[in-house]
Amino acid sequence: MASVYKTLSGTNGRKEDAPTDGIKRIKQRVLILSSRGITSRHRHLLNDLASLLPHGRKDAKFDTKSKLYQLNELAELYNTNSSVREEPLIQKSSIFYFEGRKGKDLYLWMSKAPNGPTVKMHMQNLHTMEELHFTGNCLKGSRPILSFDASFDKEPYLRVIKEIFLHIFGVPKGARKSKPFIDHVMGFTLADGKIWIRNYQINESEPSKVPSSTDADSEPKPKSKSSSSQGKETEISLVEIGPRFVLTPIVIQEGSFGGPIIYENKEFVSPNQVRSDIRQKKAGRYGQRAEQGIERLAKKGELGLRTSGGRTMPVDELDTAMLFA
Amino acid sequence: MVTKSKLKMALAAEKSIDFNKLKLKKKEKAAKKSKSKKGGELPGSEKKQGDEEWEDLDETSEIDEASEVEGELGDEDSGSEEESVDGLNHIDFAGIDESDSDSSVGDNDQDNDLENDEDEEGIPISDLEDLDEEDKEDIIPYQRLTINNTVALTAALKRIAFPIAKLPFSEHHSITTSEPVTIPDVSDDLNRELAFYAQSLSAAQAARKLLKAEGVPFTRPTDYFAEMVKADEHMAKIKAKLIDEAAGKKASAEARKQRDLKKFGKQVQVAKLQERQKERTQTLEKIKVMKRKRQGADNETTNEADIFDVALDEESAKPSRKDRVGPNKRQKKDEKFGFGGKKKFKKSGDAMSSGDLKGFSSKKMKGGAAKRPGKARRASNK
Repeated sequence: MASVYKTLSGTNGRKEDAPTDGIKRIKQRVLILSSRGITSRHRHLLNDLASLLPHGRKDAKFDTKSKLYQLNELAELYNTNSSVREEPLIQKSSIFYFEGRKGKDLYLWMSKAPNGPTVKMHMQNLHTMEELHFTGNCLKGSRPILSFDASFDKEPYLRVIKEIFLHIFGVPKGARKSKPFIDHVMGFTLADGKIWIRNYQINESEPSKVPSSTDADSEPKPKSKSSSSQGKETEISLVEIGPRFVLTPIVIQEGSFGGPIIYENKEFVSPNQVRSDIRQKKAGRYGQRAEQGIERLAKKGELGLRTSGGRTMPVDELDTAMLFA
Repeated sequence: MVTKSKLKMALAAEKSIDFNKLKLKKKEKAAKKSKSKKGGELPGSEKKQGDEEWEDLDETSEIDEASEVEGELGDEDSGSEEESVDGLNHIDFAGIDESDSDSSVGDNDQDNDLENDEDEEGIPISDLEDLDEEDKEDIIPYQRLTINNTVALTAALKRIAFPIAKLPFSEHHSITTSEPVTIPDVSDDLNRELAFYAQSLSAAQAARKLLKAEGVPFTRPTDYFAEMVKADEHMAKIKAKLIDEAAGKKASAEARKQRDLKKFGKQVQVAKLQERQKERTQTLEKIKVMKRKRQGADNETTNEADIFDVALDEESAKPSRKDRVGPNKRQKKDEKFGFGGKKKFKKSGDAMSSGDLKGFSSKKMKGGAAKRPGKARRASNK
């Protein structure tokens, strides 16, 4: 009986501990996967991002393109392993899904797994880590600092997008493969209606001599040196790591891969439309030329310069045909 | 409209929405519309239809929202929609302050107004298909509806948001700039990247300050080694590329220098030739002077030392190896046995040897030569 009491009281105590503590811990997971029919660059980008997300789980390419709601079940499947025992945990699972279309266009779906919302974005200007020869590097699995542009707080749909970024790119504290030091920043900036994403290494270096010389005047040199190593801040500079890409939000759905559309970007022009416009323009050139030809013929006919059709000129007595026949 | 999910039906029942009534209402409207059509007020009817559609949409969206709220609240009873919204605020998701949500609701009203305005201008293509042919003629279709359902968006945000204000910074690691980053020209690569860099840099600095305040380790110690995002091979590749680039730059600079030199090369050559010529004339002059002096000093031998270089004189005074008189054995041997040159065909005939008529005599050719006597005769002669 004592053991029963102990366990009961233990659980009670634990339950009460959590609210008094007041600090909730975040525990989120990300399911990272792509559709079939993405190019190698898209795949490499996905791998790069997966290497930056230690709390993410990479899955095999997803076969169907129409029944995306099945992704929810997949996410649930992977999420059951995590313990739900601890109360104060905020459990979140997200889905990060690359959809390739026509072997060239890439759409990024980001969703909160059980019940939404879902953001669909078009990805452009993507460059993988490998093709960008940046010298920056960071620990695999170190937690990034997420830097957001203040314009993300302007509109509700941008706030939703920001929140989802925070869930997906923010590595939770104490994630399994995460490292205890912070050495990179991810920047999310809104410009031209698009979201630009960059990844930088934080490079700390000893401050240059010029400002420290003023301290050295007042204090003996060795002491100032020790104080600088302890209390004084090192200078921060950034070195880009990669990858780079630009996202254009298209649609936000209320559910996870389903539900009503609660935001739609009117300014978004699909790449198909762009391509078809270019083709139409090219086709238009021929049409113009053909029209010009017809016009010219009509003009000639009007002047009576054509043998058949058009206006016939009145027979003149001084015509060569009249004179010599 | 009656074909709804169970949850929605239950909700509707709770809210005492009678679908049959709604249907009746709709029918009435339809009847009105057909009447007015007969009356010939085409554009007005269209507008009405558009409005009606919008109303329907709004209704459904409201129901959806309510259902979600219910899902969140679970067992809690919610009589009306307003109450449920209040409940949301009580739970306080995400630490979003009330004023904020209020303002966003206001925005939504404005948005709706805007959308209604747009309705008067045109009708979405999706609605076009329901219209008759004659109606289609004089309306302006536009491509896409702007959907920006602010209420739903804020609700969704509340549902998922982290309570960032309550959490310590080390939990979420997110920093928002105090002022929006403005980029005047997006296609200006340099300035754009600079803006991104500045944003991230300020975030990194602020984050370090916050983390140090919370006592969370920030800087990686130098003796901490772990797997990096970019593997060593990748970094080596990058390094090689950098070196390659530097070498290329150096080579191109060298090439440019060479090209510039080539431009002046002709002048340089001319200068060199002139110099050489000058040297030659100088030496010739010296020789002339020497000759003259020598002629003048034929009887006075003492002067000779002045004319020639002293060192040269001394050099000649030394007995050279060639002049040395010795047994000269080697030379003799070489003469006897031959030394150097090829030995092959040395004894074969050539033009000289065949033209050599030293041993030729016509007398011998004619058999004039005495024949050797026979053996007996020779023996008898002995």
